[in-house]
Amino acid sequence: MNNLAPIIISALMISLMGGALSIFVVLKRLAFIGQGISHAAFGGVGIALFLGLHGATTAGAIGQLTIVVAFSILAALWIAALSRSHKGRTDTAIGVVLSASMALGFILFTVAESRHAHDDHGHAAHGHEDEHHIIEEILFGNILNTDWNKATIAIIASLAILTFTWFIRRKLIFWAFDQPVMDAYGLNSKRLTNTFLATLAIAIVMSMQIAGVVLAAAILVLPGAAALNLTAKLKPAFTYAILIALAGAGFGLLLGFKAHYPVGPAIVLAQSIIYLATLIIKTIAIRS
Amino acid sequence: MPQAFNVASQSATASEPAVRIQGVSYTYPATGIDSSAVQALDSIDLNIQPRTKLGILGPNGGGKSTLIKLILGILKPSKGSISIFNNTPTKARNRGLIGYLPQRIEADLDWPISVREVVSLARTCHRKPWAKPSVEDREAIDRSLELVDLQDLADRPIGALSGGQLQRAMIARAIAIEPKLLVLDEPMVGVDIAGQQRFGQLINTLQERLGLTVIVVSHDMRAIAAVADRIACLSRTLHFHDAPEGLNPAVLAQVFAHDVAGVFGDIHIDAHRAEDCDDPSHNPCGCDHTDENNTNNSEGNQ
Repeated sequence: MNNLAPIIISALMISLMGGALSIFVVLKRLAFIGQGISHAAFGGVGIALFLGLHGATTAGAIGQLTIVVAFSILAALWIAALSRSHKGRTDTAIGVVLSASMALGFILFTVAESRHAHDDHGHAAHGHEDEHHIIEEILFGNILNTDWNKATIAIIASLAILTFTWFIRRKLIFWAFDQPVMDAYGLNSKRLTNTFLATLAIAIVMSMQIAGVVLAAAILVLPGAAALNLTAKLKPAFTYAILIALAGAGFGLLLGFKAHYPVGPAIVLAQSIIYLATLIIKTIAIRS
Repeated sequence: MPQAFNVASQSATASEPAVRIQGVSYTYPATGIDSSAVQALDSIDLNIQPRTKLGILGPNGGGKSTLIKLILGILKPSKGSISIFNNTPTKARNRGLIGYLPQRIEADLDWPISVREVVSLARTCHRKPWAKPSVEDREAIDRSLELVDLQDLADRPIGALSGGQLQRAMIARAIAIEPKLLVLDEPMVGVDIAGQQRFGQLINTLQERLGLTVIVVSHDMRAIAAVADRIACLSRTLHFHDAPEGLNPAVLAQVFAHDVAGVFGDIHIDAHRAEDCDDPSHNPCGCDHTDENNTNNSEGNQ
């Protein structure tokens, strides 16, 4: 196992960012869009692998990350554009983008792997095992691979996203609360939608480092959903969401290190349990 | 080009109009393979003087919402030009000159946000991110809440308000930016007559206190009558009638199938024009009298 510090710092920073964004994701009902973007990122991974960009070298890792981020942002903007052209049928748009990207990603992945096996005669069986391992990492994440290089990217990206979101917070609140009239108040709803979805795409790619394609979006939903069970005020909701995200990350890391569970799924499971607990608290509070 | 209709308040002199609409047409492009372009507005000319309250009456599908979107700068005219206090609509909107009350409140009422925060947002969303709301901001927000009589509910969650209170909150949001023009889009759908009168009084008070120019569009003449002191009729083209008293009830009754006299009270019926209207070749209102569907729709929305 690598040095623990970059792993812990990355997990906490990404969770902190996920906690803050999750309030907007939940209130603007973007959870399913998040799923769409994260699955679309699989297409980006396929393209990167097809181009021979593996995570083994630093240059390869940066190249891969760039392509995955670019592809995810394009997928997010494509979902936004399709939603507009289908008169707001976002579910159809997500269905199209998600399936097309997954299909593209897996075909390119298979082509890249078969090319790899073909180059190394006699190592076909070994390559097959690698293939399963790589797919598993892409789908469910492997934060234990995080070194200081990856941690640095995670820290910078998380801080940049947090700062940017804080800068446009008032516009985002207006947008998420009452998008239909915001243009009449001199705000550009189309531009803001695209901006937030692009930001969300970067956040999801960062979260994939923890939880992979399948679970990344959960990190951007669960803390906000749990926090909003506890309060009907906006500022406390952000505070609770961040605390819940960090607590979930802490529990997940602990389970990962002590019980050798996969860390990403453990973080998501911990946040889910906290969500259930807040749901129970809310139900009891309403009844009493 | 036909001469523009001029909407002036009794006291207004020939000053620069608040809203100047010149030769405006708008055509919606085709949206799919089985649809074609639809002309919503045709050669609209209209000058609205400051501090008037213009009601724009028209059937559903008559282009009212399109005209509002053009005034707000959300759509650009296919032909012609619009100026709002000597600005393009986009500039006027971005300078906070236009307050807008939407037809349907589509805001997410489950939001964890207070009435005061909703009203504040209209002002503070344009502030620098590090700038806290100024004293002027806070005063304008408090004054807006007081004017719509919501100061006691200001700290309640927005979702806790009744329908009428919610509408007043949205009016407070519209006037919090201290606009010069207030645009009300079908403000009284589903509101009873007493509610309409209260709404009319509120708009009157706001107009007098804040010196606003008001545009209200509706398919419902009672809504128009409750608010407006000038009326224009819009059905793709614009037909201006100087005041409610000048409207021809026979025409309106034909278009909207309402008991007009019951709405406008003791009004002067111009027999000559009523006869004209019976003649299909002469249609002073210009509305589509033969469209039974529109008639039914407007009734169904009462």
